[in-house]
Amino acid sequence: MRTEHADVAIVGGGIAGASAAAYLATHGVSVVLLEKQDRYTDIVRGEWIAPWGMREAQLLGVEDAFGLGGAWEIREWTQWDETTDDPETAETVDMTRFVPGVGGPLSFPHHLVCELMAEQAADNGARVVMGARKATVGDGPVVRYQTDAGDHELRAGMIIGATGRGCTVGRQIGVTMATSVHHWGGGVRVEGLDDWPMDVQAMGTEGEKMFMVFPQGDGMARLYINFPTANKHRYRGEGGTERFIADFELDSLPDRGKSVYAAARPIGPLKVWPSVAMFPERPIVTDGVVLVGDEAGNADTVLGTGLSCSLRDTRTVCEILLGDDWSPSAFEPYLAERKFRMERLHFGAGIIAKLHCEFGPEAVARRRRVRELMAENFAAQVTGLLNMVPPEDVPEFGFSEFFAERLFRERV
Amino acid sequence: MTESLLTGSAQVNGVEIAYVDRGEGDPVVLLHGFPDSHYLWRHQIDPLVEAGFRVIVPDLRGFGASSKPQEVEAYDMRTIVNDVVALTLHLGIQRAHIVGHDWGAAIAWMYAFLMPRRVDHLAVLSVGHPGVFSTPSIEQRAASWYMLFYQFPGVSEQLLRRNGWRLFKEIMGNEGDYQRYPRELAKPGALTAALNWYRANRSPEAELRVERNFPPVLAPTLGIWSSGDKALLEEGMTGSVKFVKGPWRYERVEDASHWIPLDQPEQVTKLLLGFLGTERAATTPSRRRRL
Ligand SMILES: Cc1cc2nc3c(=O)[nH]c(=O)nc-3n(C[C@H](O)[C@H](O)[C@H](O)COP(=O)(O)OP(=O)(O)OC[C@H]3O[C@@H](n4cnc5c(N)ncnc54)[C@H](O)[C@@H]3O)c2cc1C
Repeated sequence: MRTEHADVAIVGGGIAGASAAAYLATHGVSVVLLEKQDRYTDIVRGEWIAPWGMREAQLLGVEDAFGLGGAWEIREWTQWDETTDDPETAETVDMTRFVPGVGGPLSFPHHLVCELMAEQAADNGARVVMGARKATVGDGPVVRYQTDAGDHELRAGMIIGATGRGCTVGRQIGVTMATSVHHWGGGVRVEGLDDWPMDVQAMGTEGEKMFMVFPQGDGMARLYINFPTANKHRYRGEGGTERFIADFELDSLPDRGKSVYAAARPIGPLKVWPSVAMFPERPIVTDGVVLVGDEAGNADTVLGTGLSCSLRDTRTVCEILLGDDWSPSAFEPYLAERKFRMERLHFGAGIIAKLHCEFGPEAVARRRRVRELMAENFAAQVTGLLNMVPPEDVPEFGFSEFFAERLFRERV
Repeated sequence: MTESLLTGSAQVNGVEIAYVDRGEGDPVVLLHGFPDSHYLWRHQIDPLVEAGFRVIVPDLRGFGASSKPQEVEAYDMRTIVNDVVALTLHLGIQRAHIVGHDWGAAIAWMYAFLMPRRVDHLAVLSVGHPGVFSTPSIEQRAASWYMLFYQFPGVSEQLLRRNGWRLFKEIMGNEGDYQRYPRELAKPGALTAALNWYRANRSPEAELRVERNFPPVLAPTLGIWSSGDKALLEEGMTGSVKFVKGPWRYERVEDASHWIPLDQPEQVTKLLLGFLGTERAATTPSRRRRL
């Protein structure tokens, strides 16, 4: 058993862990980053980052990892939906002006960006351990882990748990999660969309599918479909990827989606997952350990804010770590900010899921009503702002039961 | 992560120049353009070595692993030609075939003007003789680097990097090594250095300063242009014949973007192998002393 030392040990090298490593290393903190994969591969995580998330990336100094890892700025958001009569008249939002100095959201190959962040951390003096298995956290604090070279013991001043929704570190320090699943989802990266406008992302619902197309430039895109839990095996087994792509033949899309379903060639695995929201039941900070990213609890992925949240977590926590006080009380501002933020995101995700990820005649009628309401009163679109600006900048009224009631009320 | 075939590096002309030096035989120097490095020539190096050439491929200053001075003045064409001269001298080479693409072709022409006796054969890809008036009008130009720098002389590093390098990617499209370029240019000082090539040599004022007194090129010269070039016109290359006194050959390559060595690697190799060392130079005018 070798014993190593560092100021900060980070378990999990996803967007949260790798960005923390890059930031801390740049600021002269000695860091060891433990990532379980031997090398970064497509494990199907979020690939669309909101403008407010890119602002966090800028503040962390990791924005180039996105651009160089293949990120593409998307400028317009068109809602193509079965409740729109003609695809040509679907409404489009210009997404480039919500956050000053940022531009539109970026769509990117997730694993390449994580890899570049880890590389940036290493270039600035962090030690990055790929293939770190069986990480266990103990008092001290200490992390024990294994690599092909044998057993290791890493003593640190602070441990950051960033293992994602597996919550490996959280479970070891006794943080249990309450969970809820509203629907299921699947995603795959594709190329060949030469006739799809690379400036435009599509979202909409038709039949039992909520579909999304997020262009990544050069004919590439990430495709997602959300679908009812009752139908969770629809893409399982032989030909699943082909069925998934074929499902983009949709009346709602221009030319019935031909530039997607007839053109897309997969360039990564299809993964299907329950769209789970997680709520920590115990404090996410203990003496010596702090949880960030999905490991600290996350909103339903339908909102597309998990990455932005992870970067906000990283920034808040790392700014505290640049100070001298690493006691649990020093992290109270993080806990308070995160609680406020997640309440708003859970609330918003609830509205979006109810609106776009419920299916059948009743749900269609609801979407039609809400569309009309939104056309009448622009303020009713407030929830959509959560994709663009940070939760604290979204007007308060969007988070009241009164608003939800008004939005979904059946009119006579 | 950066792919590299470099074999050495030398301090010449006040900068560090990294290079490939492989093979034995008549030397041939391959010069890359914007925003490439020696790696542009990766498909040609082995075949040329196998055909019996000594192949020298530098990263020109500002690019790849070579020095990246941050001042604009450091990128004057003559200074860069001197880098190449100094490097060949350092490697014990008196005379070489000079091959260039894009800015590398501009350097190759300049080299032939300034150092006629150091040039064996000259091969220029994409960029013709500077005396030819062939600047396409703004309307004729598709989005390209050239347009960028003519239209937006004030283009800034910050503008190109914004929003995940969106403007850069938009301009670059999917030509050349478009996926590698941003990564290379993100290295410390690299983007400024690369832009300085244009700032030093293609400012609008420089455009207006028409130099007409180019000495004739005596070396046998091969001009290659690709029909898929969105920035440069064919006349720019074919019109070069007027300025070449040595044997002139012109080849038009189909199905290739501006990046001919990458898009038609075998054809470029074949053209070079069929040309280098096959012709005689026009005779040097005898040097008469002034009375
Ligand atoms: C299909 C899908 C679509 C999504 N879409 C979006 C979207 O469009 N926009 C958005 O903002 N968010 C989206 N999200 C959410 C977003 O992906 C997550 O919020 C974000 O990836 C969380 O980052 P993280 O670093 O906390 O965790 P993860 O991304 O899960 O990373 C955890 C890392 O830790 C490593 N690891 C795990 N266990 C261990 C261990 N024991 N030891 C060492 N290393 C370990 C993993 O290999 C991984 O690299 C989506 C999520 C999913 C699943």
